Amino acid sequence: MSGKQYYRPGNLEQCLDFLAENGRESVLLAGGTDVMVDMRAGEIDKSWIVDISRLPELWGIELQNGKLWIGAAVTLTELLNSKLLQEHGFALHTAALHFAARQIRNVATIGGNVAHCSPSADTLPPLLVHEAEALLAGPCARRRIPVGEVAAGTYRSALEPRELIIGFELRPRSPFLADFQKIGRRRELVIARVNMAGLADMDEDQRMTGVRFALGSCTPVPRRFADVEALLEGSRPGRELFWEAGRLAAENMIRMSGRRPSFVYKEKAVQGLVYRMFSPLLEA
Amino acid sequence: MQGNEQGLVDISITLNGREQKVAVPADMSALKLIREVLGLKGTKEGCSIGECGACTILVDRQAVNACLVFAPQLDGKDVQTIEGLNREPRFQALQQAFLDRHAVQCGFCTPGLLISVYALLLEEPCPDRDEVIRSIAGNLCRCTGYHQILSGVDRAINPDAEWRPDVG
Amino acid sequence: MNLVYQTVGQSIDKKDGRQRLRGEPLFSADLELENALVLKVLRSSKAHAEIESIDSDAASALPGVVQIFTARDIPGRNLMGIINKDQPLLVVDKVRSLGDAVALVAAESETAANAALQAIRVDYRDLPAVFDPQQALTEEAPLIHAEGNLLCRRDIIRGDIHAGFAAAAVIVEQTYQTSFVEHAFLEPDAGAGYVDSDGVLVIHASTQNPHYDRSEVSGVLRLPKERVRIIQAATGGGFGSKLDVNCQGFIGLALYHLQRPVRLVYTREESFLATAKRHPLTITMKSGVDSTGKLTAAKVRILCDTGAYGSYGIAVVSRAAVHALGPYALDNVAIESLGVYTNNPYCGAMRGFGAPQAAFASESQMDLLAAELGMDPLKIRKINALRPGSVTVTGQKLEASVGYLECLEAIEPYYQAAKAEWLPAQVPEYRRRGIGLGGMFYGIGNTGTKNPSTARVVMDQTGQATLYTGCADIGQGSSTVLIQILAETLGLEYENIQMVAADTGRTTSAGATSASRQTYISGNAVLDASKKLAAILCSLGARQLKTAASDLVLRKGQVQDRRDPSRGISLAELAALARKQGIELFGEGRFDPVTTSLDPETGQGDPYATYAFACQLALLSVDVLTGEVRVDKVVAAHDVGRAVHPENVKGQICGGVAMGLGFALMEAFEPGKTESLKDYHIPTCSDMPEVIPLIVESEEPSGPYGAKGVGEPALIPTAPAIANGLALALGERITTLPANLERVLEAGLKAGLFGA
Repeated sequence: MSGKQYYRPGNLEQCLDFLAENGRESVLLAGGTDVMVDMRAGEIDKSWIVDISRLPELWGIELQNGKLWIGAAVTLTELLNSKLLQEHGFALHTAALHFAARQIRNVATIGGNVAHCSPSADTLPPLLVHEAEALLAGPCARRRIPVGEVAAGTYRSALEPRELIIGFELRPRSPFLADFQKIGRRRELVIARVNMAGLADMDEDQRMTGVRFALGSCTPVPRRFADVEALLEGSRPGRELFWEAGRLAAENMIRMSGRRPSFVYKEKAVQGLVYRMFSPLLEA
Repeated sequence: MQGNEQGLVDISITLNGREQKVAVPADMSALKLIREVLGLKGTKEGCSIGECGACTILVDRQAVNACLVFAPQLDGKDVQTIEGLNREPRFQALQQAFLDRHAVQCGFCTPGLLISVYALLLEEPCPDRDEVIRSIAGNLCRCTGYHQILSGVDRAINPDAEWRPDVG
Repeated sequence: MNLVYQTVGQSIDKKDGRQRLRGEPLFSADLELENALVLKVLRSSKAHAEIESIDSDAASALPGVVQIFTARDIPGRNLMGIINKDQPLLVVDKVRSLGDAVALVAAESETAANAALQAIRVDYRDLPAVFDPQQALTEEAPLIHAEGNLLCRRDIIRGDIHAGFAAAAVIVEQTYQTSFVEHAFLEPDAGAGYVDSDGVLVIHASTQNPHYDRSEVSGVLRLPKERVRIIQAATGGGFGSKLDVNCQGFIGLALYHLQRPVRLVYTREESFLATAKRHPLTITMKSGVDSTGKLTAAKVRILCDTGAYGSYGIAVVSRAAVHALGPYALDNVAIESLGVYTNNPYCGAMRGFGAPQAAFASESQMDLLAAELGMDPLKIRKINALRPGSVTVTGQKLEASVGYLECLEAIEPYYQAAKAEWLPAQVPEYRRRGIGLGGMFYGIGNTGTKNPSTARVVMDQTGQATLYTGCADIGQGSSTVLIQILAETLGLEYENIQMVAADTGRTTSAGATSASRQTYISGNAVLDASKKLAAILCSLGARQLKTAASDLVLRKGQVQDRRDPSRGISLAELAALARKQGIELFGEGRFDPVTTSLDPETGQGDPYATYAFACQLALLSVDVLTGEVRVDKVVAAHDVGRAVHPENVKGQICGGVAMGLGFALMEAFEPGKTESLKDYHIPTCSDMPEVIPLIVESEEPSGPYGAKGVGEPALIPTAPAIANGLALALGERITTLPANLERVLEAGLKAGLFGA
């Protein structure tokens, strides 16, 4: 007997009450695909497993008040099946397409993917370019934080032990270019070596506007790269420009993470992938 | 809900069409429950971390890796394993198609693979090659190189389908 | 001559296929033995260290722990290995690699067993370790085994390489490197056992060679062979790794002492940590060719890192040497192949035994030579191809069933079309296309050593036949093929043939399921047994039909007059008659391929009775911005002698291409780092190219119905074809496998392809 205990609250209020008391000894379970692996590896020493997968407050994909709401317990398969997401969050939809494998997509949740704080989380770059906010519920109050601030570091959450993510609000966009790109050692069922998301509109003058770019798997926490966005914003698509954007992304990656052995590859691959992601605009 | 006095969690599942109540440890995987507690050995354990698909089962008609699901999460769910599906005519037709196309070698990945295909066919009776590939990419097979498997799926979708060498 | 057979050449339903599709066969981990203890192995956390002490007192005292065994508990010879015995079941005084077995725990539950593993205290004294085979050969290198770090060497010397190189118009020299590869069969190793009422230790295991397991286990336990019975459980792939004794010895040891049922199931992590890998080879190859494209000489040095133990290392060293130069005629060669101990994980058999690594080198060389000559890669292969009458580098004259040219010809239309149409097609600016050829030959069976198989066919009083064979079908389909051979020979319906396989208590040895030997060697043993039974049936029939036995044939469940099929008598009738007359209806068969051992100095000899040949063509595209490779198509032509079961052959080819693609592009086991399938990637369905299998049948006169083998050949040409395709696409050759993201991107960079 492992001494672990299981609790499944019926609604959010029950959950918060429970966490108020036992938050520090609890691990939250939504899909379970990461929790199970970590637990098997002996990396979870909490005594309570709190199953939040059936909290109705964490469900649903909706457009409300000009925002795209995605509940934290929405599975990757649900993301993939969502017309709304395809229309207003295509980059995230594409990420869901490349996420792990079908059996995992069927149970893994977007909230879990974010809360696990993996640097390679596939949903993070798209959420970042959609300027998503994570809605958190705690014992006293709800709060919202930029999705990039959920992780305090690699596999380290910034959330209070008594808090949980109930969902995300994305800025809905359906720009000219909305994409997610991923390099892995094989085509499916793979953790990203590099992943990234980008959004860009084109104005009447054929200049890029509303450019957003985020990179994953290369920095301790996935993040947007403001200077890459600034470089592209207001410019006309061009080979050299995109190549320079890629170089800048790679340079920033190294500045933020220090030189690592893997960066011999990643420095080039990031540059190349940025180019590849934006290159459809060359024909615009 | 939470655990009983013994620290076990009482769950109720519909397993292969029959309602079943069982008390499980909080951190037990669905795979352990199925194989070791319920004694159903057709679900295979290949990696225990969701990287091979040999333990694929249906939960509410969706394919999932039993090794990644906590047994208490199954509470109230409809669970189907190969033993139950063996009785389903549509599943049998899929098995026959696999047999006809020599899609089984060692047979260890086979139950999981069949279930992944079956889950897809429940949702989409005539999927295209890409959908099939994407639905079974989480089921590793080291023997066949997947072609005869895809050929088997083709045959299940359309019994007159010819052998096709391409994957997509 | 194309004979029409009833069963041979038909893709009949797989033996037990339906059960496998229903998830019914019991794999070792599925076996439930009443009251069985759980076994777990404590494994070394050090690569090279002396064991100062093992303290298991605290662990033994834990609730549920039954006993903890160390080397001291082994009653017999604590050394294992099919060729050389150097691997202890449980280490004695030192560990030689990570994962070495230190102690064995028997407990009432998995939890208790795991707790015991945690509680055993081992004091190690670190020893200097060596992980590089070249360094391991130096004088200052730490000794891994007392006899020295050189496991073995194989030289092949033929002709005069100085004269050969002098006659060359072009000489190329290159060093090639491959990586540790994990078999990654889907079923992790497992076994379970009990002691039967006669005191026999019965062990069910996931294995490729039950009879070898029996001799090893009985040796370790110092028991007569009859006291150990190995039964192959359903086996979820092996690919060479399940040729070693993995779980069986531990189960035997626990049974010996405890006389209680036990089970041992490796986790995937343990399977990665504790079982054999494919040898990484360092191959330096210098090849010369004259201006007409004819090879004139080759000098080869091969270094095989066998890790801490020999396992099948000696076979790999030898086979790598024999196959070093591929399916080409060459008069002047000097090949030196060394097997070296290091503190790396031990390496053993894996699909191809060194030939896949060698083919990567030699086929790369063929393309390099062709490029230097400005010659088409297909042409240089044709010019040098082994053909009937050719002499191999070991001096063996090939007489028949030399189908390499036929394979090249089968590939040619696809190759020409790819060159003319596919290659020049417009693709995005950052993609490059390439096509590449890979050729191979492969000796069927063990290298220059005896490797017999036996079989027994018994007919009961109703005319039903049962085949008894030691041959372990590990998924590839040998059971189906052996039944086909029996059915064909006795004129029976295959559905009615019973089979008892791979059980040392009931079958005689068929040798290992390795070296692509079961169709050819065990197939011949079954053929022999069937023919002997057929002779008995014909002589019985002759008396009944009042005709000469030589005029009779077995067909459709009858003994029939060859000239007048209406004159016949059913086997059921004959069987009843035989019973009345007290005649036992059975045939015992044996086959050992005719080979000679290789000369220890020159490596000359006839190491194999027959060879398989193949050529594959790969079409691929490379993303030069990221190093991603997409193999679009593989055309695979294989000379299998005769395809007894064509769909099985296709299955082997497609499976081999998949494994070859992994070897080429993504698979590398890094000792001390790689843990499981999370960080060791094998191809998924979506990584697979289109595969077009082309079966070439250059009949082997000594094969059963002309058959040879295909299991390993299927994989061998894939990596070289991909490597050659990459070289064409990138204009830069990758000489280290896998050609992963990093290496491909780097090659593109070198070639100046990385840019906007």
